[in-house]
Amino acid sequence: MSEAVIQVAQLKLGYGDRCVLKEASFSIGKGEIVGIIGCNGAGKSTLLKTIRGLLPKQGGRISYFGKPLEEYQDKELATKIAYLQQHVELGFGYTGKDIVMAGRYPYMKWWERESDADERLALACMEYTGTADLADRSVNEVSGGQKQRILIAKVLAQQTPIIFLDEPTTGLDMVYQEEIFRFAKALAAQGKTVLMVVHELNLASKYCSRILLLGEGTLLADGSPQEVFTEKLLSRAYKADIKVEHDLVNGNLHISTRVSEAAKLREAELLRQICGN
Amino acid sequence: MLKKCYGKAALIVLACLLLLVGCVSLTIGQIDVPFKSAAAVLMQQLGLPFLQDVSLSKEQLAVIWYIRLPRMLVGMLVGGALGISGAVMQGIFSNPLADPGLIGISAGAATGAVVAIAIGGTAGSMLAMPVFALCGSILAVCLTVFLAMRNGKIPVMTLLLAGVAVGMLLGAITSGILTFMNEQKLQQYLFWMVGGLDYRRWEHVYLAVGPVLVGIFIMLLLARHLNILVLGETEAKAVGMPVMQFRMGLLFVAAITTATSVCVSGNIGFVGLVIPHMMRMLLGPDHRILLPASALGGALFLVFCDCLGRVVVAPAEVRVGIMTAILGSPYFLYLLRKMQKSVF
Repeated sequence: MSEAVIQVAQLKLGYGDRCVLKEASFSIGKGEIVGIIGCNGAGKSTLLKTIRGLLPKQGGRISYFGKPLEEYQDKELATKIAYLQQHVELGFGYTGKDIVMAGRYPYMKWWERESDADERLALACMEYTGTADLADRSVNEVSGGQKQRILIAKVLAQQTPIIFLDEPTTGLDMVYQEEIFRFAKALAAQGKTVLMVVHELNLASKYCSRILLLGEGTLLADGSPQEVFTEKLLSRAYKADIKVEHDLVNGNLHISTRVSEAAKLREAELLRQICGN
Repeated sequence: MLKKCYGKAALIVLACLLLLVGCVSLTIGQIDVPFKSAAAVLMQQLGLPFLQDVSLSKEQLAVIWYIRLPRMLVGMLVGGALGISGAVMQGIFSNPLADPGLIGISAGAATGAVVAIAIGGTAGSMLAMPVFALCGSILAVCLTVFLAMRNGKIPVMTLLLAGVAVGMLLGAITSGILTFMNEQKLQQYLFWMVGGLDYRRWEHVYLAVGPVLVGIFIMLLLARHLNILVLGETEAKAVGMPVMQFRMGLLFVAAITTATSVCVSGNIGFVGLVIPHMMRMLLGPDHRILLPASALGGALFLVFCDCLGRVVVAPAEVRVGIMTAILGSPYFLYLLRKMQKSVF
């Protein structure tokens, strides 16, 4: 593995006294694109928020470029990590460009204003994500996919070596979903480290270089998609019967769920009761 | 670029309109003073070498210099303070319906005022009531923030609810004190409650000018940060903003600025709510334009309402707090109707 940019050791996290995840240790190198997967409530987003410093940890150590998280100032950390959160409510009708320009905040002194160079960079980021025509439009008037691409442009404008994406494909159609993964892969190819929470396992298997599988309150597996996407591990993490097929033509994995005969019979019985016949 | 130019042009237009309404406010009232005479009073009092040859009566000099000018200046300071503080509060709470009264400022000021009247402080000095009202407001804000704070954080919803609770508590205290007051003191309180600019003197200008101008300056300086804060706590933290410090800082500056204005003019509603709204609709949400526009717009609206109050039922006067409510409430209802159709 190339030089470690993120190091997490014995991490324990949760909300208040409730522990969501414990004993999580991993190290991520430059240029990796890492997918965090697991069933709902496994602690994927909590893990991302905690290692970004947005939530307090219950124990363990987190460091970036060898420096502990606690020693970073707010702005200094924001020049190292850009973070795309899961649900963003953008009120007051800000324009696309206003949102993207927010990514330049960590580089400005508190009394400074955005420079022309900042504006040029923001517009370049919007052009890259195909949102240049939304620069002067209110974000309240754009579609979910366009809004997400504007937010990715903001993340790019932050010019950080590490990018965290928390469920960036939620609510997007399949074209946009794959586009987001393509963006992530292109950024990783430029030497940026991308850590993303994902639910689309097929896309994760195609684009991620590494997978962190969360389940049973811990880090169940850490490895390449081929190593992690096994029926045994996934079924254990998702508490369901999961089928993994290998496409021999292009080498991709196809992951789907299997429903047992007993479950099918039980569902049919319940449906009969609900529908009354 | 076009947006920036439009915003700056709008600020210049607002400043010119404010100047115009300010001039009008010096000339209208029970005694008509021609504009030239009013200007001559200003020039002569300020020792400027213009209009020195215009002859002025003692009455004109007194009306302009000791009554209308301080009244207009207090109007501008109060309107500006309420307008900009309203815009800041709406930004801090990410809620277009937030207003400075939400965190107990008005209730605290009312309690302070009623205490000043009850203990007879108002008989001793005309500054007693404003000073008590200011102290009441600041105490109310501190109490609200203290109640809302959890593990060093202040969730917005908790702050709003704490503001409501503190407002109700102080309202009960105010009502309790009022029940023991005689009729003369009750009238004194009622006069203060219905905010007004009449009988404002230079002392009121001196009391308000420092805190209001400093407060406005700090808020303008932090306008860019408010743009980030409005995006939400997580988003702001993700770009490196120390959210707590900025939120608390802006909250206290807005609170003290509002408290100062409430203490010199009484409760004046709708300026802090309607003006930022109107400016946002006209000029967009960028606080670098919105904050100065709200300050100028608030000052303009209040001085305009004061002028209108002096002429609608002349020779009697309608107090400015009533005028702002009469003009502001229909507009607020219109906004609510409009809100149902569009997303802020």
